[in-house]
Amino acid sequence: MDLNYSPEDREFRATTRRWLESNIPTQELKTLDNRKAWHRKLYEAGYVGMLWPKEYGGWGATPMQQAIVQDEMARVSSPPAINGLGIGFIGPTIIVHGTEAQKKRYLKKMLTAEEIWCQLYSEPNAGSDLASLKTRAEDQGDHFVVNGQKIWTSSGPIADWGILLARTDAKVAKHRGISCVLLNMRQPGVEVRPLKQITGSSLFSEVFMTNARADKSDLIGNINEGWAIAQTTLGFERGGNALGRVTRYVTAFAQLVKATKELKRGGKPLIEDPAVRARMGRIFADLEVQRYAALRVLSALQKGDAPGAASSITKLSYTEFEKRYYELALEILGPFGQLMVAREEFEEVDTSSGEPGTFATAFLWSRAGTIYSGSSEIQKNIIGERVLGLPKEVRADRLKA
Amino acid sequence: MDFSFSSDQQLLKNSARAFLDEHCKPATVRLLWDDPRGESESMWKEMAQLGWLGLSLPEAYGGSGLGMVETAILLEELGRAAYPGPYFPTVLAAAAVEAAGTDAQKKRWLSAIATGDARATLAFLDSDLDWDPAAVTTRAEKSSKGWTLSGTKRFVPWAHVANVLLVPARAPEGPSLFLVDPSAAGLKLSPVQGMDLATRWVHVELDKVPVASDAVLGAPGQAAPLLSVLLRRGAVGAAAEMLGAARRCLDMAVGYAKVREQFGQPIGSFQAIRHKCSEMLLEVENSYSAVYYAAWALDANAEDHELAASVAKAYVADASRKVCGDAIQVHGGIGFTWEYDLHIYFKRAKALESMYGDVDYHREQIVRRAAR
Repeated sequence: MDLNYSPEDREFRATTRRWLESNIPTQELKTLDNRKAWHRKLYEAGYVGMLWPKEYGGWGATPMQQAIVQDEMARVSSPPAINGLGIGFIGPTIIVHGTEAQKKRYLKKMLTAEEIWCQLYSEPNAGSDLASLKTRAEDQGDHFVVNGQKIWTSSGPIADWGILLARTDAKVAKHRGISCVLLNMRQPGVEVRPLKQITGSSLFSEVFMTNARADKSDLIGNINEGWAIAQTTLGFERGGNALGRVTRYVTAFAQLVKATKELKRGGKPLIEDPAVRARMGRIFADLEVQRYAALRVLSALQKGDAPGAASSITKLSYTEFEKRYYELALEILGPFGQLMVAREEFEEVDTSSGEPGTFATAFLWSRAGTIYSGSSEIQKNIIGERVLGLPKEVRADRLKA
Repeated sequence: MDFSFSSDQQLLKNSARAFLDEHCKPATVRLLWDDPRGESESMWKEMAQLGWLGLSLPEAYGGSGLGMVETAILLEELGRAAYPGPYFPTVLAAAAVEAAGTDAQKKRWLSAIATGDARATLAFLDSDLDWDPAAVTTRAEKSSKGWTLSGTKRFVPWAHVANVLLVPARAPEGPSLFLVDPSAAGLKLSPVQGMDLATRWVHVELDKVPVASDAVLGAPGQAAPLLSVLLRRGAVGAAAEMLGAARRCLDMAVGYAKVREQFGQPIGSFQAIRHKCSEMLLEVENSYSAVYYAAWALDANAEDHELAASVAKAYVADASRKVCGDAIQVHGGIGFTWEYDLHIYFKRAKALESMYGDVDYHREQIVRRAAR
């Protein structure tokens, strides 16, 4: 056991910090072009696509280096890179399952954000039960004709391409008739309608496909074997943001402390109230444990251990923590916690959602974490079955099959 | 950055598990409930032979010179077995002698502890149960031959089998630490029994107990920093033991959920049970991260070692209470019976929860460091 950073990692952190200090945008990135330009700069500095193999335009860096970059970016509240789904999930899927032609065509433009990607998985009636999806892709020889509806699609309006799960055989058991294909979003048969979230912004969309066309050459893997590919896609979470996430929590905690020194109860600062102190102590212990757990995950990744189903524990842990954390923050802040536009210094936080804002924004966003990428209930099913080895439940759809 | 055990550490864990599975079965623990001493002499001697008692003592005194990580590895396994005996109080007291003792004090006690010939304990709490090391109320007054100690020490673990008591007391110079012979005149020991019959506490009354001048550990008035160090080690050690008890309860609950059938299926197939078990695993894994991070931080004297010790104790106390309690719930009625072994570990975790600083104490320490 040695939880010190290696001299190389410390040096890498110092280099990253210097680079960010001299390159971070001084003005807000208001347009997509601005954000693409910043992304490109990050990429050329070696801070995007870090884990990708060099032959595909990546940097072949270590998980620790990736985590350090995210951590340093969080430290200075840097605008994030874009195309996160593409670079984090879809690109690696193409690297593992795609053809040489697909790799040549798509990967580099994904890394440089010349083409933005989205994921077309969930449907109105296929959420946790994703395999019950109904979008059809009909085989027309050299292409598929796609009809159906997808939902909760992040980056929908700005996406050029999507990775689509669609039913290609309706006669077999539900997870055996699904194929994975790349879909051009810039065609008449694809309509994107933004959905307004409880935060008031629209970071995800509905996508309607009406006789949309997907080329056969864009099929990922074999026909009707898309479910297995989707499973590996979901498993590509690599803990890269583990440290950055905790740094955002710590930064928010400092804001909260500042608030408890300025707000008063009974004429005394809140921070002197034993009831407030006890709750702050409890949540900070919780926060620190998230940090220790992040270091543990990174240490395992450094050794090349695949986290597998154990990554469900990580996801469950930090998303549930975020709910407790921002709930407590809002209780302490009182009406200040309601503000969606910051007026006081302590009201503004980096929400780690891609949407800057206040504690109220972060509080609202925390409700999403335990739903997206497999809800807490699904994570507990995975942990129970695959980590603890508990028996599978008897499910109505399995009885039918 | 490496959060995994070295091969030596893994070996220590495996051999501890194997030894305790054989020599400290639930039936062994139950037998000792009725024993006046409450511990097994033969187990103690074997632990000494395995090198556990000198684990973190210098080689010059027959020890292995290892650190808190190795101690935590052992304590996790001891907690998993609900081991009854003065192992941790003894090594904690030995750490104090090693840190602050004179050569003569070290010669007198450390080798004897490493060989299993002596047991020791630390009488931390006074009658008002204040964990603040500076708050000691037991008095030390100068006498012609040295000192006399007067006061009350409560919940002293395993003092009835100890060969030496480490007693903090307030001298005119300030908080001081004394090596006290438990058979000294004016010293009265009375057993105190909590719900865990395998944890033994002793109520110690000191009425002008004479202590020689060479029995002060460190300089008079200078004991507070050492007591803080011991409290942190105690907190992390107790957290490790609670983690072990929680892991045992989780394993029992999962094992039971796989075989117990209701409505024609194993209860572990029901989400109500499976989700509970998954939440228990999450708490155990987080506790593991907290315990070994803190143990490493103490060994490495990391910048945040004080914070990490309090985080470990506060977090694992909550987590182990939940995990052990939920294990009873998963079992249903059988988990509430005296015959079933679950309560052995449930009670062990509970007994440690209030020791070496309770949850409230450590949360306050955390806020002092985090909310400056």
